[in-house]
Amino acid sequence: MKFVGQSATRIDEREKVTGAAPYADDLDFGPNLLHAEIVESPHAHAIIKKIDVSRARKVPGVVKVVTGKDFPYTFGLYMQDRFIFARDRVRFVGEQVAAVIARDPVTAKRAARLVKVTYEPLPFVLDLKEALKEDALLVHPDLKNYGHCAWFFPVPDTNIAHWRKTRKGDIEAGFREADTVLEDTYTVPRYAHCAIEPHVIVGQCDLSGRLTLWSSSQSPHTQRHVFAAALAPLGLKHQDIRVITPYVGGGFGGKAGVSMEIIAAALALAVKGAPVKVRWTREQEFYNTYQRQGVIARIKMGVKKDGSITAIEHTLHWDAGAYVEYGANVVNAVGLSATGPYRVPNVKIDSVCVYTNLPPGGPYRGFGYSEFMFGLESHINRIAKMIGLDPVEFRRRNAIREGDTLPYGAHMNPCALVDAIDKTAAEIEWGKKEEAAAPNKVIGKGFACFWKAPAMPPNAASAAFLKFSEDGSVNISVSGMEIGQGYLTVMAQIAAEVLTVPPEKIRVETPDTDRNAYEWQTVGSHVTWGCGNAVKAAAEEARAKMIEVVHRVHGFAKEDLYLEDERVKCRAKPDFALAFKDFVINGIQTPRGNFLGGPILASGMFMPEFTSATGDPETSQGGHPNVHYTVGAAGIVLEVDKETGKMRVRKVVLAVDVGQAINPDLVKGQVVGGMLQGLATALYEDIRYSPAGKLLNPNFTDYKIPTALDLPDAIVPIIIETPQPDGPFGARGVGEHTMIPSAPIVANAIEDATGLRIKSLPLTAEKVALELRGIRYDDVKGETMGLCFMGDPQKYAFFAKSKA
Amino acid sequence: MSIACEFDYRKPKTLSKAIKLLAKRGRDARVLAGGTDLVGWLRDSLVAPDLLVDIKGFEELKGIGFKNRALVLGALATFSDVLESELVAQHFPLLREMAGMVASNGVRNRATVVGNICSAVPCCDAGPVLQVYNAVVHVRGPNGKRRVPIGQWFLGPRKTAIRPGEIVTSVTVPLPAKKAAGCFVKLKRYRGEDLAQASVAVLAFSGREYRLAFGAVAPIAVRGPRTEALLKGQKLSAGLLEEAGKLAVEEIVPITDIRSTKEYRSLMVEVMVRRALKTAAARLAGRGPAYGINVMEEDTP
Repeated sequence: MKFVGQSATRIDEREKVTGAAPYADDLDFGPNLLHAEIVESPHAHAIIKKIDVSRARKVPGVVKVVTGKDFPYTFGLYMQDRFIFARDRVRFVGEQVAAVIARDPVTAKRAARLVKVTYEPLPFVLDLKEALKEDALLVHPDLKNYGHCAWFFPVPDTNIAHWRKTRKGDIEAGFREADTVLEDTYTVPRYAHCAIEPHVIVGQCDLSGRLTLWSSSQSPHTQRHVFAAALAPLGLKHQDIRVITPYVGGGFGGKAGVSMEIIAAALALAVKGAPVKVRWTREQEFYNTYQRQGVIARIKMGVKKDGSITAIEHTLHWDAGAYVEYGANVVNAVGLSATGPYRVPNVKIDSVCVYTNLPPGGPYRGFGYSEFMFGLESHINRIAKMIGLDPVEFRRRNAIREGDTLPYGAHMNPCALVDAIDKTAAEIEWGKKEEAAAPNKVIGKGFACFWKAPAMPPNAASAAFLKFSEDGSVNISVSGMEIGQGYLTVMAQIAAEVLTVPPEKIRVETPDTDRNAYEWQTVGSHVTWGCGNAVKAAAEEARAKMIEVVHRVHGFAKEDLYLEDERVKCRAKPDFALAFKDFVINGIQTPRGNFLGGPILASGMFMPEFTSATGDPETSQGGHPNVHYTVGAAGIVLEVDKETGKMRVRKVVLAVDVGQAINPDLVKGQVVGGMLQGLATALYEDIRYSPAGKLLNPNFTDYKIPTALDLPDAIVPIIIETPQPDGPFGARGVGEHTMIPSAPIVANAIEDATGLRIKSLPLTAEKVALELRGIRYDDVKGETMGLCFMGDPQKYAFFAKSKA
Repeated sequence: MSIACEFDYRKPKTLSKAIKLLAKRGRDARVLAGGTDLVGWLRDSLVAPDLLVDIKGFEELKGIGFKNRALVLGALATFSDVLESELVAQHFPLLREMAGMVASNGVRNRATVVGNICSAVPCCDAGPVLQVYNAVVHVRGPNGKRRVPIGQWFLGPRKTAIRPGEIVTSVTVPLPAKKAAGCFVKLKRYRGEDLAQASVAVLAFSGREYRLAFGAVAPIAVRGPRTEALLKGQKLSAGLLEEAGKLAVEEIVPITDIRSTKEYRSLMVEVMVRRALKTAAARLAGRGPAYGINVMEEDTP
């Protein structure tokens, strides 16, 4: 292949390097642009008794003050449980209660402080064990009346928003068959995305009622759809709403779906005619978009002496926060896949989505897999040790293969996990003990596997339009988002391969829902695969049209015609070559002097027609919810200072089976970026809430993401290519996957280096140093809360065990 | 970024006018120099002054000089100025080592050393180093000039010996009378820019005399007089280093906050004191690692 499989230069590179690339906050709306400041709840849970806006309204420069009374509507992607503005009650600290729209941001901020909200504070639940108590205080007493997607199963009159159960084989028989059983609890706190660009959106409703939004988003069409549903009572329909999304400065799931963007859609309707900007501060970015959800997980695993896994029982309780409209689908995805990439004959998974009075949880790169793989891959090292088997060999023996039965009964797609394991082990010289130079330091090695499937509705679709210009260059209009991953370039490469037009002559634009073809969302590592298929189809249609017109004019057999070097050529007549630029707009002249043909236009679409979400709610058997899994393995060489707990990554390796790397450099970029993001969640990021539910570190002063100084000494990406039959040129998703194994490789390396097994994230230097001296971190950490429950995880009661 | 509180902004022509203005407005006024603390506090509404007096233009407050065998850090001297000063590099390498660990390039280009000790947060980096150098703070107010030894400057978290209407004009750092070498150690959550979880400054003099000070482990930057007494005249054996580390922990009063538990702070101060003493002594003997490395992160030869 000429263009696919090559590390083509990014088509957006020059724009971005020179600073020419526009982001939502760069767009100039002129002097009439209005600015909004949000009045936020100081309480984790309270009744709103009264909102007095009279003083704020009088401030010169204030245009309007808006409250929940003006927009008494709910919204949500998978469950309609979220409010445009809190009405009767607030459910987390920082929730939007009102907005002040003013002519400048300072006036808006000053006036917002004059909005007087009278609250009656209510008891609140931050802790999962409180939220799941028999007589728990309910975060959403109306849960039973909420609309939601067909594959959610809320439990009315509880805080359980969704409970995904997966049952395969006979779990009890599986444990009876086992020679060794290990059961333990692992905990993972919440995390924040920390995209460099905070959320920003400008809404404008013109005087005819047309609502346009310029949004920093991963999901323009889904936003339009959610806006249309939420604002339907005001008479808005899809055709009235237009979402335009310029470049995005990092998404990581945080800009998927709709979170704060609903505010701008509503405010634009409140001040018709003028554009209004809602621009999140770094603090709001932390507490009022989405966070990665916290989880406490109990794993019971049975293995035979030969290392084969006989059973996995995995119970996960998720702290999903005050609104779960997106987060419950993370819980769902894990509930289908919490065995990891292994052959497991007997499976019982309970993945439980729990409301708490903390900020809303939601999608985050990895979509739950990073969270459960931390416990699972830690557990595997421990159980392998118990039976005296090398943990890499243990993974080899259990590694999933093409055709194996998945936890929900469908079959595994092509993959080369064993190959990934072997290549990773070789690259980190697994089994070879390394000595540190300094006497206070030790070196350990860690290993883990990973897998992940996109979590999509069964009918999530992608589409593409393609057209030519006079010079033979191509425009492709799609609606996936360029969020830094190189999507535009990859789409250009796919079209280039079919059309033989080099990628630098192909322009792929960022979306405008009025003009670009449909895309569900840029999430789930699926756009290369899904939208790539649509683009390929469009390019193939264009090719067919070009061949058709040459056939009509010159009479060559269509099967003899082919494209090469931007020309139509003919196998039967080697000296024939018609350049695209000579006919793709104005057609081909016939001997009679007239022209045949015309502008070459094409479209393509793709929807995975084989998927369904109709599995039995009690077992998840019977459906085909996931399109494919991408698998791989990772290893680390970690140096630990036993005195300080400080860790240095000497080398980290990640092998991933991407089917076909459309652009190998971009795949390597995913490995480097994902690994860094994952290592940050393992080593540095440490979210803290006060006992009253207030986020204490919504800033980079106290929430640490790595800098250039914190790079590992070496990152080695290994690309494996076992083609995905339904992917464009064999490609399957890769993006989120590269951060999934980061935390367990670190935990396993710490154990290898020091003998210390830490079962909760993060694995900060402080925690390691204290635990190495026999001090339990949980005993001294003070009253700030990082995990979603207080107290000893070992004493946490997983009620789901007794029920079901 | 918008600031909710309303205030007046003045940029007087002369320093005396600025002092008069500050004296008149007293506690309602704040001095603006680098602004790296103040502007953040304004944005977060942590302070609400009526008046900001901008002193950025005053030539007499700028720069780094040497006078009466002491380094003079003008009130407008930034951490970047310290890093770029030949004078500092040659005669006050410990000061330079500390300046290199303050925040990031961007912040160091604006943030002043004097501002750092005027903000006087417990984790301020300049505090411990100025402590071991026995620096002097020079203040001017409506009643004239006065000198405050650094040991009497810090009164508590964000509290200093400054009085309403006064302004710090400079800090002087006396040139050590004997041959000296130092080590500044900063405990951070990662290698990137961070506020200190704990910091230790050591200045070792020929004749086996040592000064130690600690940051972020007490309400203010404090010296360690008992540890200094223990070490005086002694050769730094492994046993003595061990003992000094343990004694140092008795001289601090760390608390648990979002950046660290008090347990970790104590344990690390012990390690930091050992490593800092060893490094300072090695540097004094002309064989230590180059200034600028963080011995909490890097191997030392």
